[in-house]
Amino acid sequence: MPTLPILSLITFVPLLGAVLIALLPSKEQDLIRRTALGTSLAAWALSLVLLLTYSLGQAGFQFKEAADWIPSFGIQFKLGVDGLSVLMVVLTTTLSWISILASFGPIKVRVKEYMISFLVLEVGMIGVFVALDLFLFYIFWELVLVPMYLIIGIWGGANRIYATTKFVLYTLVGSLLMLVAILATAFTYQAANGSWAGAFDYEKLQAFAAAGSFGHNFQMLAFLALFLAFAIKVPMFPFHTWLPDAHTEAPTAGSVILAGVLLKLGAYGLIRFAVPLYPFAAHTFAGPIIVLSLIAIVYGAVVSIVQPDLKRLIAYSSVSHMGFVTLGIFVFTATALQGAILQMLSHGLITGGLFLLVGVVYERTHDRSIAKMGGLAATMPLWSTVFGFFILASIGLPGLSGFVGEFLVFVGSFTFAPVIAVSSIIVMVLAATYLLWMFQRVAFGAVSDFLTGLGDHLTDISRVELFTIAPLAALIVLFGLFPSLILDYLSPVQTFLAAAGAAVGG
Amino acid sequence: MNWPDLGTLAPIVVAVLTAAAVLIVDMAAPGRRAPAIATALVGLTVVGLVVLSLAGHTETAFGGAYVVDALTAFLDLLFVAIAALTILFAADYLEPRGLPIAEFAAVLIFAITGAMLIAGSADLLLLFVALELMVLPGYLLAGFARNDPYSTEGAIKYFLLGSFSSAILLFGLAYVWGLTGSTRVSDVAAALALAAAKGSIAPGLAMGLAFMTAGVAFKMAAVPFHYWTPDAYQGSPTPVTAYLSVGPKVGAFAIALRLFVGALGPLKADWLPVVIVLAALTMTLGNLVAITQDNVKRMLAYSSIAHTGYILVGLAAYAGGQRSGISAILFYGAAYTFMNMGAFAVVTALQRRPGVTSQISSFAGLGRRDPWLGLLMALFLLSLTGIPPLAGFWAKAYVIVAAIQAGGWLTALAVLAMLNAAAAAFYYLRVIVYMYMREPAEGAAALSPGILFRVGLAVTGIATLIFGLFPAILDVAGKAADVFKS
Repeated sequence: MPTLPILSLITFVPLLGAVLIALLPSKEQDLIRRTALGTSLAAWALSLVLLLTYSLGQAGFQFKEAADWIPSFGIQFKLGVDGLSVLMVVLTTTLSWISILASFGPIKVRVKEYMISFLVLEVGMIGVFVALDLFLFYIFWELVLVPMYLIIGIWGGANRIYATTKFVLYTLVGSLLMLVAILATAFTYQAANGSWAGAFDYEKLQAFAAAGSFGHNFQMLAFLALFLAFAIKVPMFPFHTWLPDAHTEAPTAGSVILAGVLLKLGAYGLIRFAVPLYPFAAHTFAGPIIVLSLIAIVYGAVVSIVQPDLKRLIAYSSVSHMGFVTLGIFVFTATALQGAILQMLSHGLITGGLFLLVGVVYERTHDRSIAKMGGLAATMPLWSTVFGFFILASIGLPGLSGFVGEFLVFVGSFTFAPVIAVSSIIVMVLAATYLLWMFQRVAFGAVSDFLTGLGDHLTDISRVELFTIAPLAALIVLFGLFPSLILDYLSPVQTFLAAAGAAVGG
Repeated sequence: MNWPDLGTLAPIVVAVLTAAAVLIVDMAAPGRRAPAIATALVGLTVVGLVVLSLAGHTETAFGGAYVVDALTAFLDLLFVAIAALTILFAADYLEPRGLPIAEFAAVLIFAITGAMLIAGSADLLLLFVALELMVLPGYLLAGFARNDPYSTEGAIKYFLLGSFSSAILLFGLAYVWGLTGSTRVSDVAAALALAAAKGSIAPGLAMGLAFMTAGVAFKMAAVPFHYWTPDAYQGSPTPVTAYLSVGPKVGAFAIALRLFVGALGPLKADWLPVVIVLAALTMTLGNLVAITQDNVKRMLAYSSIAHTGYILVGLAAYAGGQRSGISAILFYGAAYTFMNMGAFAVVTALQRRPGVTSQISSFAGLGRRDPWLGLLMALFLLSLTGIPPLAGFWAKAYVIVAAIQAGGWLTALAVLAMLNAAAAAFYYLRVIVYMYMREPAEGAAALSPGILFRVGLAVTGIATLIFGLFPAILDVAGKAADVFKS
């Protein structure tokens, strides 16, 4: 029975929007904005259909589509989702339309190019999460790079060209080595089976890997290449230095997508590809990776304390928060992995919200320096309230989504090694320090001279702005109170652990 | 020679006649550009059609010295496309500078005839003659802007080093002839297979191998034999640079295929280490120097050296035992032809008005001054970088697949190639930075390329995109590679 190719639809609806916009004259800015919002909302609606029609508790991939692409190498156009991908797709589509709506005001020049870039970016991001062919995955992975390069480079802040070049070069070094690893993996499969058929097919490769068919030395090299690519994207310490620059210089919506989705691409890659395909290597390197994660958690938090710039502070806090994700992945317990995935979602919502809120202030003040702020609670009371909420969520206040993710990682890693859990809990204190201190300097105290000088320009958060942030706040509360809503989707956690466990046994 | 030979030689005969016809048309209607251009393009189309009509079966002429097989057909079509595109791009550039298009087209078609002859050479002597026929018109083209001192300087350097390298190559061929007793590729291969079976090669043969490697490396501009390239490329009129960066390069790889794969295939274990070192040096040095360039033409010249390095990885993969290396070379050649000519074409369009330099600052704000030109340049540069799903990405992917399959040191070479590709992104993207992220200079006029130019750009742009989206189109490269059976 031919069914609706819903994954292709979700992936390529934004592309359709980009083509439509390309055909519109650049003067029709409002029409362009509405077309972009409309298509991203359509993709979002489709992703919600996917979320609701996905059958929980069923193992393996659903909504699979496959067509030959380059038959001589067995490369397919193959899509499919499991619970993890579904959640990531919905996160992507949600943040995409919110970002596009949030760009209506701030982006005033070259709106057409901006919206086209954004929609192409969405295609790439969704594609990464639904691709079940390693080659296709790689193509989508690289597709993300170009529009983000342009978004930071054209619509970014003063130091944008340095930031965007650094971003691209870091990512490219990782991803090109990943390409070599992917090709080598496919070739190993081809050499073992005597044909290219299925050599890039994720499901076949996973079965091949689960049978322990990849040699140990090969696994070590391939894993390192993939790990480097993903670790740069996450970013893990010490590959994180592109992140503060890119986050700070990107336009608000760019920062939202960077923090909300792009960092998750790296974590997704680790969970989906690096560990299940090379389980032996993943176990071998788990120790150093856990150490790096702990360093990232502590280092990100400590460095955040001294940041003078609002966006830079949030950027470094991302390094710290994403450290929990990599920690959760590599302690190899079901609880920790569930926590890591929950933390991925929650970090996307919370940090996305924080960047949007900083963007609101930046729109009015054209400044992000913490020192120049002060007393915003008096001049922008509603904004300060919402900002306070997101800061509490970021600290990990129980009842909000950030807490659940980090808590599960603690619990999961406690059974692995208590010392890890204990040392990472100390970081929660640090998080409270840098976030609350920043909030105190920005929101409380006397209204600063700089802000007084702005006079009437300093209006409180507008309804549209509030509308972009409200869904994120609602989801943070929802997932904080009912984490089972997400955890129900995470049956693949078991498959993942089974694959990882097989390597330890064998 | 007998009559059936003439049928086999038809593409070359038609090409020579086309060049002659262009000159005659120019004499009949002196100073008029349209008839000459039309004659050249129609003639090249006919050459293409003749090649297609011969494709599909193998034929030989001159008692086996010249062979028409799938490889010949593939390369011939590529050369015809290169010539046609060069003419399309040159018309706009030569006119404001008062340079004649008819002579340009005729000389170019002669050069292409030489390249086509290389593609079908099954004899070392014919190979050498064909090579000279390809490069001699190239020296003329490099010095085509004869009032421009840079053009003359570039042409002289190109001529001196080119002649030098031809002599070295010939010296190497002579050694091989002396030691194997034949100039016919198949006989040489058979003799060398016997020699290789004995385990050690004669010192004279090693000398010959070294000379030939050096000679071919000169022609393909591999490091450390690349010194002529940047000056020749920068000094030449830009459409000529576009031609020089692809025509003689693909020609040089055609020699490599006929000579190293065809004749010297049995010794591949002996020349493999040399090719690995050449490839590693060529791509690394080409990229490192390209990073420091502020002139886009010179940058593309060094980047073309780097691309030579990537193509050499394919040759190394062949020597490492992977026949897929050959089809990777051919795919790379085709993809590189279109994306690189496209990139040079955009530089040509910018320089339509005499006096505009090819400094990177000339590109400032191009994305806004001329959105289509900017978009196409971005496309070509991204393809050269190797971003999927564009032609350049598959070119690299095929080369890398072949190298990984060969394994051993070649895996390390593949990793080095990818690291190089990442470094190359820096200088390619820098042009995009200028085009899209900088304001146009004051008084920068709109560019209005002519209709021929637009057609040429459209062809290169569409090819870059289509080869990228449907790389299976170039599966003919695989068929062409099947010519070499072992």
